[in-house]
Amino acid sequence: MIERITAGIDVGAGAVKVAITASRAGDAGRVLASAVERIRRREVHELTARLFADVCRQAGVEPEALPYVATTGDTEAVPFATGHFYSMTTHARGALFLEPRARAVLDVGALHARAIRTDERGKVLTHRMTSQCASGSGQFVENIARYLGVPLDDVGALSQGSRAPEAVSGICAVLAETDVINMVSRGVATADILKGIHVSIAVRLAKLLRSLKTQGVVFVSGGLSLDTGLVDAVRESLGEDRGAPLEVVTHPDGILAGALGAALLGSYRHAQLERRARAQADAAAAVAP
Amino acid sequence: MKAPLAPAPRDADPARDVLRRAHALLEDHGLANAAAWKRDHPGRLAVGYMPVYAPRPLFEALGCLPVAVFGGGDRDVIRGDSYFQSYICHIPRSTLELGVSGALQGIDAMVFPAICDVIRNLSGMWQMLFPDVYAAYLDVPQNFRPEVGGAFYRAELERIASDLVARGALALDPERLRAAIVTENARRRALLALGDVRREEPWRCPASEAYAITRAGGALLAADHLALLGEYLAAIALRRGSPKDNVRVVLTGAFCEQPPFGLIKSLELAGCDIVDDDLQLGLTYIEGDIDAEAADPLGALVTAFLERGAATASRYIGDAHKGDALLARVRRARADGVVFAAASFCDPALLDEPMLEAAMDEAGVPYTSFKYAENTGQFHVIREQAGAFSDAVRLWESAP
Repeated sequence: MIERITAGIDVGAGAVKVAITASRAGDAGRVLASAVERIRRREVHELTARLFADVCRQAGVEPEALPYVATTGDTEAVPFATGHFYSMTTHARGALFLEPRARAVLDVGALHARAIRTDERGKVLTHRMTSQCASGSGQFVENIARYLGVPLDDVGALSQGSRAPEAVSGICAVLAETDVINMVSRGVATADILKGIHVSIAVRLAKLLRSLKTQGVVFVSGGLSLDTGLVDAVRESLGEDRGAPLEVVTHPDGILAGALGAALLGSYRHAQLERRARAQADAAAAVAP
Repeated sequence: MKAPLAPAPRDADPARDVLRRAHALLEDHGLANAAAWKRDHPGRLAVGYMPVYAPRPLFEALGCLPVAVFGGGDRDVIRGDSYFQSYICHIPRSTLELGVSGALQGIDAMVFPAICDVIRNLSGMWQMLFPDVYAAYLDVPQNFRPEVGGAFYRAELERIASDLVARGALALDPERLRAAIVTENARRRALLALGDVRREEPWRCPASEAYAITRAGGALLAADHLALLGEYLAAIALRRGSPKDNVRVVLTGAFCEQPPFGLIKSLELAGCDIVDDDLQLGLTYIEGDIDAEAADPLGALVTAFLERGAATASRYIGDAHKGDALLARVRRARADGVVFAAASFCDPALLDEPMLEAAMDEAGVPYTSFKYAENTGQFHVIREQAGAFSDAVRLWESAP
């Protein structure tokens, strides 16, 4: 079996993620190199091109030698891509790579969250998204962390230390932010505010998952998969809502799920296109005199 | 399939200037161009017309500038809404809004080709609201026998021609009509050449660009549109790039009220190469050349309509099988699937859709369907649906 080395580029609203994988038909594949960089007001085309070049160097591959460069997220930022896969397809595939037991994915990114039910191949069976309100998104957590003067990386651990979480509006980011300002004036502990925020998001995410009638293992992907406080809150919400038990897991590379999924699907698609081309050539040869 | 050779920088795109001009025409519905043309041709008439098909060569032969009035796009509709119930599509509202707001002041006549009862009613409303503007309902035959439908259609064309002449158009001269038909045929062939590029090298000619370049022709004389098309085709031939692994789709159902430009772009961004569509069907409605050598050029225009009109929802197809024409388009375009995109409350498109979907089911062609309005501003859900469709067709070889 040929080992295919392919790249996946996930241009999200808050960060660019790049992964290069090697895989053979039927095997799980392995990661050769990967990187994540937050966009932070930089020109996204330039950032993506530079990060892609860096990851190619790390992996020891020439960009031109890659048979398939797959994008997900903002495709316009990657004019040199071979193909594009939609983000829920790539997160489903990336989740399966990082957790082979996953049959559902909670992709929580900077601008929205999405629950996806999948099969054993990573095929999307159905999905639900949060509404346009920012209150279920990473940008919301980031805003709150900034108001509270807490580094983003510390949010999860602080939230896990909360003893008396404060209830926050889970309907609207603007109302929730007003709640937070009131809590700060009342002297509520930062950890309890953060836990309240996590609970408000987790309740919405749990409802999304339940609406899909998911079972078994749920993989949390996207930027907020690194937020241990949120992942705990999701587990708690699902434990309290009297639905079927669900195992919520994540992975240190959960933020890379889209890029990994894109790379692996690129490999799959490349093999598929080669098979079709061979079949067409064989059919043409068979009818030739 | 090899990846990355960096394409030409976007600001060095050889088609940039011609696309800019096309978009400028779209943004004001070609009205500035019509005003400029009227300044250059004092006394001549600008004749507005609605979808789907209008006999543009006839208008040109009468010395008029045909101007496609295909709705107001995403323009705010305030007064237009007050004339229609909530279950009526958006194009009559926005068109009326253009009228009552004075935006169509430079349009001397409005022709409403038969497509549905809403447009027929709009023609009556136009006559009452704008008594100084000539408004004609162009009834088209659904009986395609020359002695019945042909005679009727010819009488319709002669009636409108005569009314326009009474309002200042040039007399109908067979030689001028013949010349207009020759140019119209050339424009149609250029549009077919554009379609060839879309089918063979979709990366070179995205549907969103083809749409802009095609629709710009609604505001131009055929000769000017032919020049614009030639310029665009020459420019995109210079583009460097490589094929993308996108799903190839035929977009259908959008022949009247036009989807917002962002919707077409969203489909492309979701991984769809739209290799054929019916967005500006009127410009290629006649399949094949109109006989420019005929002794009776008006008769040739009528015969072309009777014998070679495109199969679309507003045309009766007798005993033919609904869906065969769409399937033929799918096969010609080597499309992987169909996107049914119909304007909300568009009876012709939505009543046809179940029959067309059944035909696609029968032929094993995957499809997805959604509705839009010309002023739809949020494309996320449509992009999500198209993205899921594109991935499912390519990866799993089935609709989601």
